[in-house]
Amino acid sequence: MTNHWIDFKNADVILVMGSNPASNHPISMKWVMRAKEKGAKLIVVDPRFTQTASKADLYAPMRSGTDIAFLGGMVKYIIDNNLIFKDYVVNYTNAPFLVNPDFKGPGELNGLFSGYDEKARKYDKKTWSYQMGEDGIPKKDPTLKNPHCVFQLLKKHYSRYTLDKVSSITGTPKDKLEDVYKLYGSTGKPNKAGTELYAMGWTQHTVGTQNIRTMAVIQLLLGNMGIAGGGINALRGESNVQGSTDQGLLFHLLPGYNATPSASINDLNAYIEKFTPKTKDPKSVNWLSNRAKYITSYLKAIYGANATKENDFGYSFLPKIDDGMNASWLMLFDKMHKGQFEGFFAWGQNPACSGANSNKTRAALAKLKWMVNVNLFDNETASFWKGPGMNPKDIQTEVFMLPCVSSIEKEGSLTNSSRLAQWRYKAVDHVGQSKPDADIMNDLFLKVRELYKKEGGKFPDPIMKLTWNYGKEVDIHKVAKEINGYYLEDVYDKKATPPKLLGKKGELCASFVHLQADGTTSCGNWLFSQSYTQKEGKVINMMARRGKDDPTGLGLYPGWAWCWPVNRKIIYNRASVDLNGNPWDPKRPLLKWDPNKEDPATKKPGVWVGDVPDGPAPPMAKDTGKYPFIMMSEGKGAIYGPGLNDGPFPEHYESLECPLEESLMSKQRINPTIKIFGEKEDAFYSCDMRYPYVATTYRVTEHWQTGVMTRHTPWLLEMQPQQFVEMSRELAAEKGIKNGDPVKVKSGRGEIMASAMVTARFKPFKIGGQTVHEVGMPWCFGWQYPVNGRQGDSSNLLTATVGDANTMIPESKAFMVNIEKA
Amino acid sequence: MAIDNGKSKGVLVDLTRCIGCRGCQVACKSWNERSVKPTVMYGNFTNPPKLNSECYTNIRYVEWETDKGPVWQFVKSQCMHCKDPACASACPASALIKTPEGPVTYYYERCLGCRYCMMACPFHIPKYEWEKTVFPFPWVRKCTFCADRQADGKTPACIKVCPTNVMFFGPLDDVKQEAEKRLKENPGKYVNHIYGKNEAGGTAWMYISAVPFAQLGFETDIPDKPHPDYTWSMLREIPYKVAGLVVGLSLIAAFRNRGSSEPDSDTTHGKEKKP
Repeated sequence: MTNHWIDFKNADVILVMGSNPASNHPISMKWVMRAKEKGAKLIVVDPRFTQTASKADLYAPMRSGTDIAFLGGMVKYIIDNNLIFKDYVVNYTNAPFLVNPDFKGPGELNGLFSGYDEKARKYDKKTWSYQMGEDGIPKKDPTLKNPHCVFQLLKKHYSRYTLDKVSSITGTPKDKLEDVYKLYGSTGKPNKAGTELYAMGWTQHTVGTQNIRTMAVIQLLLGNMGIAGGGINALRGESNVQGSTDQGLLFHLLPGYNATPSASINDLNAYIEKFTPKTKDPKSVNWLSNRAKYITSYLKAIYGANATKENDFGYSFLPKIDDGMNASWLMLFDKMHKGQFEGFFAWGQNPACSGANSNKTRAALAKLKWMVNVNLFDNETASFWKGPGMNPKDIQTEVFMLPCVSSIEKEGSLTNSSRLAQWRYKAVDHVGQSKPDADIMNDLFLKVRELYKKEGGKFPDPIMKLTWNYGKEVDIHKVAKEINGYYLEDVYDKKATPPKLLGKKGELCASFVHLQADGTTSCGNWLFSQSYTQKEGKVINMMARRGKDDPTGLGLYPGWAWCWPVNRKIIYNRASVDLNGNPWDPKRPLLKWDPNKEDPATKKPGVWVGDVPDGPAPPMAKDTGKYPFIMMSEGKGAIYGPGLNDGPFPEHYESLECPLEESLMSKQRINPTIKIFGEKEDAFYSCDMRYPYVATTYRVTEHWQTGVMTRHTPWLLEMQPQQFVEMSRELAAEKGIKNGDPVKVKSGRGEIMASAMVTARFKPFKIGGQTVHEVGMPWCFGWQYPVNGRQGDSSNLLTATVGDANTMIPESKAFMVNIEKA
Repeated sequence: MAIDNGKSKGVLVDLTRCIGCRGCQVACKSWNERSVKPTVMYGNFTNPPKLNSECYTNIRYVEWETDKGPVWQFVKSQCMHCKDPACASACPASALIKTPEGPVTYYYERCLGCRYCMMACPFHIPKYEWEKTVFPFPWVRKCTFCADRQADGKTPACIKVCPTNVMFFGPLDDVKQEAEKRLKENPGKYVNHIYGKNEAGGTAWMYISAVPFAQLGFETDIPDKPHPDYTWSMLREIPYKVAGLVVGLSLIAAFRNRGSSEPDSDTTHGKEKKP
């Protein structure tokens, strides 16, 4: 989230699209309702009239998988009706940048951008470059009139997203489209704020990243980034998944979103060179130019005294991935299915129900030699070998179940969608022999290290030289402190005269601002530096703070726990002020430059008041002022985004399985850069009369993820006992299905039983002149528990093996099914 | 008898705020240490479909279509804690009492298991533990208004846990005032009726809604006269009538026995008198 939960109350218009907060983040509705009490308007765009929609001022139905068409129409409306926040767009975004004249877009190339290699299914981005000036800075046209400037290219690209075209693709009636565009577009004024709330409804598509990008474009055009009540806000689906991605659990990341090195990046300098963005613009902060400090401090944290200047700080001990290797979920299970894995830790997860194409996943598990499932309850993964369709006699997989504890049985922090890390305490003792995950990892690692010590191995150094001193029973505070980081010597700011002492040897780092590239600091995760720190000698767990003051009245609560980075609540908040540092909206003074107040750090007049500013530099208009988007190399918000695999502007493509033979937007039906899996199990059926209905999946309040914990909780199971599929009255009438009837839902990959929920909250869509039905179901049920007639199995038995072009997140939100009365 | 000192507690349920999260349903289960009954997905989220001995409150999911699109409303259902409860009046054992603090409280020690309370309640709230027989003795179960939490200065569990402030909790006068204020300050937002203000003589739990109560499954033909009043007009005569009968019949007997030291011959048991 660029903003934070409580900030929703500051919005004038809240757009909920790709999420359903009332059902899935009910506490957040507190803030949405507060906004409404103050007169804010709530818009919900969803294929189904959800619990959130029941509170909306404006609801628009939309076929799953057509978000870019819908939002593309909004971009066109905003430009055509001159609703952009001109000063913001010209000064804070890359709208004025000039692009390579050889760049061509889908309007000219029938759905493709210039540079497409059909065989490799990827783009050569040479033509997507900027026109560079002699000073090494991209050329700009602040009038936004040059035909090669980003703004004009944007306008040209979305000119194809007319109301007629969009309505035909999305199934949303034209008048509803206009209502939404008008209401949301009204937040382009300097004193208006619009926010967007999204979740898996946007991410789990082959165009997931671009769904979000389209909204980023809209928010930049309207000047809604960096302001209170604005932003692009991901409602994350797990209480600590933000923490998990922050700490680098995904294959391609190290903690703090540093890239996992690939094998050919064979020394630290090469790594730093490759991953440190550069800019020639003196007004661009380009914060990631500090990369060397973060990677070096990370290496010092994990290899300690074994990381020295002489051995490249232990860079050679760091695990690397093969060049070009993609070890994301779908690839992992594909390889597992091909028998290429011996063992698998299914740690705190239930892949037999959570992964797309679960039949393939379950078959893959049967190819393993061994599997360890760390979980609280038995589940479809641990017991896959006795599941439906499995013959235990044919399966050689040895399964180990390690019982772990829940979050209330142990101490530690959880980092939520607001990037807020809140320290939690143990409430009850563990049951039986269950252990915290950290202790299980600790036991395992110490055992592995013991074996390496005794028996040696191919390359013992990464194991033997790893810092690992958390105790026999893990002291989680030690872990938290290591993540924060330490001064390993007395560290000085050498740029000051005389050099200023930043921190004493052995003390906890004050923040990532003090981290060094010379090995004198350690830090497990630069983003979390300051989370467990030391002030005037006193150790403070910032995440455990519970201060209830709110000085700005905007709900920042700076004394409650701690968020990254450095407790800044709203990212890019320098965009909330004009070039002189005055808030665009005096009524929402998130940040303000006070030229007379003394800066306690420099003892000179001139300091920011309000939220933690995105860097202490003065406002942009001043000589030493800086651009607001400090994480972008050019310092500006990206309306044009050439960094992505599938195009610098989002373009509508249909889902892999869709009801149309051809896309109504162009000749390119699907995202041209997605990986097509080719095994028998990966078969997909698009525009196939055997699977005529669009299907989507979602969650319910009462269950969580695949339901491993919640199906085993009687109070919750009582409220939401069985798998169901929601469908329109029209579709039910066609199939002779009555409310509550047992039905079979089938896709090209599997089938499940469900209870029919016939409702007016789903309506048939008119797509390209034809009637298209959509159905939806939750994915929280599984065969393992409870065992009763119609408990159903996972909806993921139906979904397809295909993922987003940039992240590989499976496309669970749009696929094709058939439904029959059972 | 009705309690209306204006200070006993009440609750205003503002149905425009409920998002159907069922935090209240779970909080109630947790505080009252309730178990569960088997349920099935029959085509609606409302589960259990009706209140029962293990479920003191539930959310009813009600949906229908209008020309402006679908409507989906979420209705919290629980004991109304009437000012003059029919259940308390019907109970022959005084096992249900309207307490001065507000809750209508059940005293299991007094309960005979006759279930007159279930028949009397116009809102069909009290539920019986049918699966029990004698040991343990079946109780009548319903929302307690968290009387124990209130006695400890705490808010009832369902109200405490609600994320969107659906329920306004306080002295009855304040609750009524708040309801009237919301109706007045938001013309067109609410249906112009406070459910529970007058129904059954007035209840401690009141509702305001954006859509007609009949469409939400509320009982709408409950008269304003408290139920006990219907029988009270007759019941209150009983002592007088009994006393009157005793006195009257005694007088008649005395009159008939006048002038005779012996009782009437035709009522003599035993030997006959010689004429």
